[in-house]
Amino acid sequence: MKHIGRKIYLALIFILMYAPIATLVVLSFNSSKTRAKWGGFTLKWYSSMLADSSIMNALYTTLIIAFLSALIATVIGTAASVGIHSMQAKLKTFFITVTNIPMLNADIVTGISLMLLFIACRFTLGFATILIAHITFNIPYVIMSVLPKLRQVNHSTYEAALDLGASRTYAFRKVIFPDILPGVLSGFLLAFTMSLDDFIITHFTKGPGVDTLSTKIYSEVRKGIKPEMYALSTLLFVSVLVLMMLANSAPKKDESGRIKRSSFIAKRVVPIVLILVFVGGGFLSHIISNANSSSEQLVVYNWGEYIDPEVIEMFQEETGIQVTYEEYETNEIMYPKVQSGAIAYDVVCPSDYMIERMLQNDLLAEINWDNVPNIKNIDEAYMEQSKSFDPENKYSVPYCFGTVGILYNKTMVDEPITSWDVLWDEKYKDNILMQDSVRDAFAVALKRNGDSINSTDVTELQQATQDLIEQKPLVQAYVVDQVRDKMIGNEAAIGVIYSGEAIYTQRENSDLEYVIPEEGSNVWIDSWVIPKNAKNKENAEEFLNFLCRPEIALMNFDYITYSTPNKAGRELIEDDDIRNSRIAFPTAEDLKDCETFKFLGDEADAYYNELWNKVKAS
Amino acid sequence: MNKNKSNRILAGPYLFWSVAFILIPLAMIVYYGFTNESGGFTFANIAEIGSPENLKALGLALLLSFISTLICLILAYPLAMILSEANVNQSSFIVMIFILPMWMNFLLRTLAWQTLLEKNGVINSVLDFLHMPNLQIINTPYAIILGMVYNFLPFMVLPIYNALIKLDKDVINAARDLGATQKQTFLKIIFPLTLPGIISGITMVFVPALTTFVISDLLGGSKILLIGNVIEQKFKQGSNWNVGSGLSLVMMIFILLSMAIMNKYDKDGEGGMF
Repeated sequence: MKHIGRKIYLALIFILMYAPIATLVVLSFNSSKTRAKWGGFTLKWYSSMLADSSIMNALYTTLIIAFLSALIATVIGTAASVGIHSMQAKLKTFFITVTNIPMLNADIVTGISLMLLFIACRFTLGFATILIAHITFNIPYVIMSVLPKLRQVNHSTYEAALDLGASRTYAFRKVIFPDILPGVLSGFLLAFTMSLDDFIITHFTKGPGVDTLSTKIYSEVRKGIKPEMYALSTLLFVSVLVLMMLANSAPKKDESGRIKRSSFIAKRVVPIVLILVFVGGGFLSHIISNANSSSEQLVVYNWGEYIDPEVIEMFQEETGIQVTYEEYETNEIMYPKVQSGAIAYDVVCPSDYMIERMLQNDLLAEINWDNVPNIKNIDEAYMEQSKSFDPENKYSVPYCFGTVGILYNKTMVDEPITSWDVLWDEKYKDNILMQDSVRDAFAVALKRNGDSINSTDVTELQQATQDLIEQKPLVQAYVVDQVRDKMIGNEAAIGVIYSGEAIYTQRENSDLEYVIPEEGSNVWIDSWVIPKNAKNKENAEEFLNFLCRPEIALMNFDYITYSTPNKAGRELIEDDDIRNSRIAFPTAEDLKDCETFKFLGDEADAYYNELWNKVKAS
Repeated sequence: MNKNKSNRILAGPYLFWSVAFILIPLAMIVYYGFTNESGGFTFANIAEIGSPENLKALGLALLLSFISTLICLILAYPLAMILSEANVNQSSFIVMIFILPMWMNFLLRTLAWQTLLEKNGVINSVLDFLHMPNLQIINTPYAIILGMVYNFLPFMVLPIYNALIKLDKDVINAARDLGATQKQTFLKIIFPLTLPGIISGITMVFVPALTTFVISDLLGGSKILLIGNVIEQKFKQGSNWNVGSGLSLVMMIFILLSMAIMNKYDKDGEGGMF
């Protein structure tokens, strides 16, 4: 009876540990792009994963850092252990305390303290800083594995070796080292695993342009994890699992208690060979990705999930220009990267108010329209609208536009929704999704009170803050692009959403309805611009011209479902309902009370942030 | 070679490394924590902890991490006992069961709980199928506790497990021979002897739970701010490093306390994880 109880207990813990992992494995075979819905079995993410250079680069960086940091930490840590072991008690305590610091200190403090050091020393944050940080937190794991083994070493054997004329190094190599080797190897493996799994410390010590798998996943959390990530993790996990099973099915210890050679090989050597294969593969993929780079380059910096990947491939094939593609999730994250000039992006796709800010700070280059004849395909109305931030249409090519509104589930909401007030309705407690970004959240509260979304009036803003704090208990979660998955999965009744996402969600779940509230809302436009420090301006213009082709605009519209300002492209849409959809292409009547965001100045920006922090902390 | 002085030099590179990348960076935090933006000395950053918002975040973090640590201990001790009584040859396999999930990225593992816990998530679908009441904990502190327990349980199990397998079986047998009941043997022999493992487990769970910002972010729907979230925002969004450092220093008080306790019970690092 007792035995069964134990087995049940073990099984429950096992389920707790492995339920999330099983979930991820299942998701890697899900053909639907959202995790909220099972769309059938597929292997396509496994093949597209291999083709996705940003994921492969992150994998490569992760493995290289894990391998190098574990290796260096093992060397330093093993030497240190031998040193510490021969110290007197007091000195030993000091060293052990120092060793305990990174183990016990909060990751966030370790990460921040290293970041402060690197910045103070004017060390550019990047690959090297991540490596140093990882070595730092890995050394203690090695010391903690090696020290106990040193305590078990029989010193008489070592002294006997010395008496018999062995030199000290020789005696160490032949007598002590074989005894502590298991500790050294498990220290290495542990360090490798810890480095692989770290997010927080990397988050603080990484620089722009370098990503490990962890930081890449974190940046994808808000816009929805790419299914390729599930595929990659599943592959990694399964290979380690198979390996561990092999290792454990190997012969047991023999009678004398010493581990047999074959078992030693299975347990220690095979894992290390595997690691080498992984790392070697990483090197190889890096070399290959470098090898096929041509001399003509283009560095694109775009919102996440904001272009059909096939479009980039077609562009590369047609022009022979090698595209380096990077993504960001908000305007605010993009801005400092472009401003610092650390990376020379050739073409970037910010929103209206951010373009205004970039223009004010003289960060943009004029576009040579002779190289972009296809601009004629863009609807005049949007060129006109662009003048609010680009007064002479000199700097920007409209790419996508849309509104912010309310998406609601008809089966969960009875009355027709017409006003922002519904977001404050007690009836929908825990069924409301709000936007987790300052300007969007305040736009909702300000518009509800009949104020401008560009208000800098203190009383208006205070009132909006009060309202948002009052609303908080009703809100299920603050989200950015996750609102899409949650609404598709019937997780909430009402969500604040961009019109482009609304079209996508309706495609997946026909119970959803989108409305621009009668008080008005935000109408926005995202446009391509060329930064002043672009190195390949002509390639950038060729790219923009390519994007303005009607059939390419249509491809992008089908993929990202955000409204296209490309008139010729819109005419190619086959489905009448979509071509004439008032969600995708609102009429002037619909936009009567809508405004475009303006850049309010740094001071007002800081004030908005302060108020938003108050809301979030309440 | 035990007291061989020339061996000490081998610790030299590590000494250099730890001064450069552990001690000096900590000094930097102290410096930032006690200065204002123009470099003058101030206590204002430390005093920031007294603002109602920050106090609430710290209090909640303390509460949640305390509960999680307790749950971890209650779950882990019996588990470690069961495991330690299993066949010795399987010991590395057992350790692997707990290390293996780390090869699946930490963020993905935590995100998977979202899929499991959501209103129409996997768990509720199963409950619906069995006609049982639904579980509504996503975006609440309960989900955060679950996330903490899930992520940090191995750090409690492994030290206790290690302490248990190091126990001298003769001592236990002696106690039995001398007429101790099972309960007495556990309370008077096994429990006190595994105390270093328990203490080490408690610190290994409590500290990361107290300071996390990722778990609360992912499972709390960005609605629940813990002290870790506040500090992270100060550095990454508000770029107010002085206040962020000040708050980190306050948090370090709790970490130092843990270290002091650990050193008292575990002079030789015997209660380590591995």
